[in-house]
Amino acid sequence: MQLNDLMRVSVRQVIRHRRRYMGVVLAIALGVAGFLNIVTMSREVKNNFNENLDLIGGVTVLRIYFDNQRSYRPQWFREQTLTALKRLDGVKELSLTAARHGQKSNFKGQHFAFMVLAVDEGFWQVRNFWPLTGKLFGLDAVNAHTRECVIGAELAKRMFGDTQVSGTDLEINLEIYRISGGLGGVTDSGLANSVFLPLTTAADRFPGRLLADRLYLRCATWDDVGAVAAAIPGIVKSFQSPEELHVEVAWEALKRVQLLAWWIEFLIYLATSATFLLGGVGIWNVMMAAVTSRTREIGLKKAMGAEDRDILAQFLSEALCLSVGAALLGAGIGRILMEILGYVIESRPPENLFFFGVTLAFVFAVVIGVGAGLYPSIRASRMEVVSAIRYE
Amino acid sequence: MNKSASSSPGNGALIRVTDLCKTYDNGVDLIQVLRNINFKVYPGEIMAIMGPSGSGKSTLLFILGIFLHPSSGSYFLGGQDVLSLDRNAQAEFRRNRVGFVFQSCDLLENSTVYENLEFPLIYAGVDRQDRPERIAVALERVNLGHRIHHSSNRLSGGERQRVAVARALVNQPQVILADEPTGQLDRSHGHSILDHFSEIVSDGKTAIIVVTHDPEIAAGCTRISSIRDGVLYEQ
Repeated sequence: MQLNDLMRVSVRQVIRHRRRYMGVVLAIALGVAGFLNIVTMSREVKNNFNENLDLIGGVTVLRIYFDNQRSYRPQWFREQTLTALKRLDGVKELSLTAARHGQKSNFKGQHFAFMVLAVDEGFWQVRNFWPLTGKLFGLDAVNAHTRECVIGAELAKRMFGDTQVSGTDLEINLEIYRISGGLGGVTDSGLANSVFLPLTTAADRFPGRLLADRLYLRCATWDDVGAVAAAIPGIVKSFQSPEELHVEVAWEALKRVQLLAWWIEFLIYLATSATFLLGGVGIWNVMMAAVTSRTREIGLKKAMGAEDRDILAQFLSEALCLSVGAALLGAGIGRILMEILGYVIESRPPENLFFFGVTLAFVFAVVIGVGAGLYPSIRASRMEVVSAIRYE
Repeated sequence: MNKSASSSPGNGALIRVTDLCKTYDNGVDLIQVLRNINFKVYPGEIMAIMGPSGSGKSTLLFILGIFLHPSSGSYFLGGQDVLSLDRNAQAEFRRNRVGFVFQSCDLLENSTVYENLEFPLIYAGVDRQDRPERIAVALERVNLGHRIHHSSNRLSGGERQRVAVARALVNQPQVILADEPTGQLDRSHGHSILDHFSEIVSDGKTAIIVVTHDPEIAAGCTRISSIRDGVLYEQ
């Protein structure tokens, strides 16, 4: 029997008995669609979690700093060090900052002390902060060295009795700064009682040398945190002294998030594997039923001169048509789901990851088709003509 | 001609069966269904085999189609020792040298007439472009050319049996074995099938063996034999 005849006959049989096979095909197709979305979208979803969920996203932020109070030779992050850290695998973004403690302000005769944090334009993004009121200054303000600031919500309430303070002037060390916004999304009370200035402005205005000795670094996913944390001292050492360098990671929280994510991923893979397995059992079942209900047909074909291998090939290729057809359908559904999910989380996975997933799904489909279809096909091929023809 | 063929006398006989026996073991007794069957069939003949139910008619036909193996005896077709063939050679023998028509008008369900006739050609390795003509010729011989693309489920009993005859013919076999081909047909359709058989053997190359218990059908054949208690009698 030629291959094109075999395929033509098998596809025709599957289409003609589509009602019998529909449930199995749908089960496998949904399994494939789920599998494709796990393969392609899991990293994007983790990424999205990092950005949008403070609890989970916080564990991917590393705080790197030089403890200059303990060092006789002050250190700060050099340009080459920052460039090398940005290029490190698993690093999504970083922000350079400098802190000045004990800064003072007078408002309506009252004295207030607070910390000033001089930050670059990426700080808000890295720390996942958002404006409670007004706006958070950006690249323009940093480049223009503008005299504007962002105020922590608790400090705003303490000084002004209100958080709606955008546009108000704030005096710091006898200099006036315009408040562009109030800071939200802060769980650290130290930061909620701080004032934030553009790094360039603070360098201009504050007396003495402003040392940018703090770095906040966000990893792409929590899986990257360990490797990035381990690599940082070596990279810093390549360009400057790592003396009194500290890398802070929220290890406990990270472990809890990783464990949670591992279980979720494991359960999804388990569910997908179960779907594939059930699909395989389904194919085995429908093929066994098909062999039984088509016993006379098998006898008739053998009477027409079909060899055992012709019957084996026909039933096996029908099983393959089912599983590969289901994989095709699943790839289509998976692509649609991927597009919808990508639209929702505003992120796109690499195309090659999708094609890798499709290839893997097709390999699974072939294995399931052959694995589940082999025994029924062998059974069909070994039928004796007379008993098959006389089967009622 | 192979070694087996050279050991068989020709004498122009297409089929030569000698001392054929078939015994079944039901676990308690040995049941002898066929006893020392001897006969020859020549090209152009239509041989009717009659007998009561359970007399062994169908068993003999299944042995001739090598669906069953006899307990002893020899069977030559066109000089070839058929019983010495292995499983694959048996399949090749069935697709190239014999055509089978069953009692119950067995057509492939949910298939067209064309598809039913195409299968023997597929198994015989006939090129796809040659198939339509051969199928059309076979259908014309049973006057069903106009039904070529009809679904087999929508044919009448007589038409289904004629399609079965056309399917047996499509590979141009030397022998057609028909098991009660008119069993489910009325008299006029039964005679029509017999007319087709007569036309088929008129080429002088083909022989047909018909198992029937209908004396009228048997009377239309060129030879009549009957089986009683497993023994074949020529009439």
